[in-house]
Amino acid sequence: MRNDRNSFIFRLLLTLFVILVINFFLPRMMPGDPFSTTSDDDSGDEVIIMTEEQRQYYMNYYGLDKPVHEQFLVYLKNLLKADLGRSIYYKMPVSDVIMLHLPWTMFIVLASTVISTIAGVILGTFSAKNRKKGSDRIMMTGLIAFAEIPSFLLGLIMLLIFSVHLRLFPLAGAITPFAHYSGLGEQLWDILYHACLPVMTLSLAQLTGVYLLTRNTLITVTTKDYIRTARAKGLGEKTVWTRHALRNALLPVVTRAGFMIGIMMGGVVLVESVFSYPGIGMTLRSAVVGRDYPLIQGILLVIAVSILICNLLVDKIYSKLDPRVTI
Amino acid sequence: MTDSINTSGYDRMIAYIQALNIYRISLNLNNTFSKFSMEGKIGVIGILAIILMAVFAPMITLYPPQKITGDSLEAPGSVHILGTDELGMDIWSQICYGARMSLTIGLAVAFVSGFGGGALGVLAGYIGGHIDQALMRIIDVTMALPSFPLLIVISAFLGPSVLNVILILVLFSWAKPARIARSQTLAIKKNSYIIAARNYGASPFYILRKHIFPEVMPVLFVLIIGISSHAIIAETGLAFLGLGDPTSKSWGMMLNSATSFSSIYFTPYWQWWLLPPLFMLILLLLCLAFISRDMERILDPKLKIKKGI
Repeated sequence: MRNDRNSFIFRLLLTLFVILVINFFLPRMMPGDPFSTTSDDDSGDEVIIMTEEQRQYYMNYYGLDKPVHEQFLVYLKNLLKADLGRSIYYKMPVSDVIMLHLPWTMFIVLASTVISTIAGVILGTFSAKNRKKGSDRIMMTGLIAFAEIPSFLLGLIMLLIFSVHLRLFPLAGAITPFAHYSGLGEQLWDILYHACLPVMTLSLAQLTGVYLLTRNTLITVTTKDYIRTARAKGLGEKTVWTRHALRNALLPVVTRAGFMIGIMMGGVVLVESVFSYPGIGMTLRSAVVGRDYPLIQGILLVIAVSILICNLLVDKIYSKLDPRVTI
Repeated sequence: MTDSINTSGYDRMIAYIQALNIYRISLNLNNTFSKFSMEGKIGVIGILAIILMAVFAPMITLYPPQKITGDSLEAPGSVHILGTDELGMDIWSQICYGARMSLTIGLAVAFVSGFGGGALGVLAGYIGGHIDQALMRIIDVTMALPSFPLLIVISAFLGPSVLNVILILVLFSWAKPARIARSQTLAIKKNSYIIAARNYGASPFYILRKHIFPEVMPVLFVLIIGISSHAIIAETGLAFLGLGDPTSKSWGMMLNSATSFSSIYFTPYWQWWLLPPLFMLILLLLCLAFISRDMERILDPKLKIKKGI
């Protein structure tokens, strides 16, 4: 068991290292260097805009004349100081830009994790209770087909139906621009109102996974001996389902919720773009359009690290919940 | 038959093996089609329709997709069946030619990563030892990488082109078929008929060709359908973010240009500009999903396919 856990942590660290290496080497693999322009339209030759001395000075200033491994160490050292460089577009440190937008993403990701988990468990329990009846079959086919639509296309459909056609929800943004709030309650309402569609989209996209997992685990659990014992003891159906069956079936659901956060952090980029929601996904899109490389790298790093942290937390929570796993 | 192969050199033999494998696949497909459920048949018909649309795009459209043939943002009518976009290009043509893009990327990525990854997995599983261990480490890390954000970053740095998109997608999707092919191979390898064959003097090459590849192939086929739908989603996502190949009009590019047209939602334009690519994408993905689910169901009694995390 200990060996297993060690290799798990080792794998996380290895993944983190690979991401750092990709992050570090990608811009250095690009043709040209920052101090010469390669875009002479007529001849295609390199145009030198600096003298050799100036070039040397800047190479030295930015540490680019050092060997690559030393540069990599400097990069790592800066990362430990949370220094991700400066954004070209925003003209401020990348970490500040990310901190400005990360809360919005965290908000919608966490909210939709909670909503889809609760809804999925309820629907899954219902389905497992009515197993092999019509309602179970209809629900399963419908939800499975639904799950095949990627979240951002789902988001587009939701946007077209609820915002464009029915005009129920705002088209874009996280708050009403230039709004003056009379109180905290009103401000909170405005935020929830704007977050509604993105959160619904993300929850719907994740719902089927939780639903299927709950349903299938419940069906496996209800064949166990202790369920028969509980029924034989004369416990009511309700107690058997909630205290004995569901409690044991929830274990994998909790784990899934953790992984879900990780998966969503990747998919949220597109969903935020659909709703112009000002989280880091939207920032990544605008950084890509504006070729703001330091910002792109910073956001990638934040997304990757948060996914790894989620996996680590899932591992910790799992061993807390299931005493059989603890060493 | 065997004599002629033995004497006719290496490349003839390769051709023979390929023919054999393709024969097996087609045999498999024939058997499975009759076992398909209603949904699966709808899926197959839908995919065939889209493929025909892509292949015969020049014949079923009146205008080239990237030429200005009308006023900008014309409503659907007799001249332009589905109307035109903001530059006056025909939407129906863009849809038909866009099908080529989605299908090419989906199929190319799926076949390269499915068969490439599968072959790697089979070899590693068969050889075992350090090579196997090393491959498993690489697979673990590849599967743990956040694929979509990395996809965005790499294609932002490498620049948009169809080939780049395919290469990057292959890089992120070979691991699953490799892992499954490996575990299948490990299970098959222990069977006594393989040991018997080896004791009769069969070469590893013979065992792989005769016993292992045919067993692994059906599973790979199901995976390939799954990978192609992932690849199509990823390409659409990239194009939607503005990272697609700007010289080709894919469905994702259409979504991108429609949604970045300012105030499209306050005008009726979205009805003929945004809805067609959206509808086609969902149709394509649902059809692929129906087929893959059905194939999974058909294979299930024999083989349990491990779901990815």
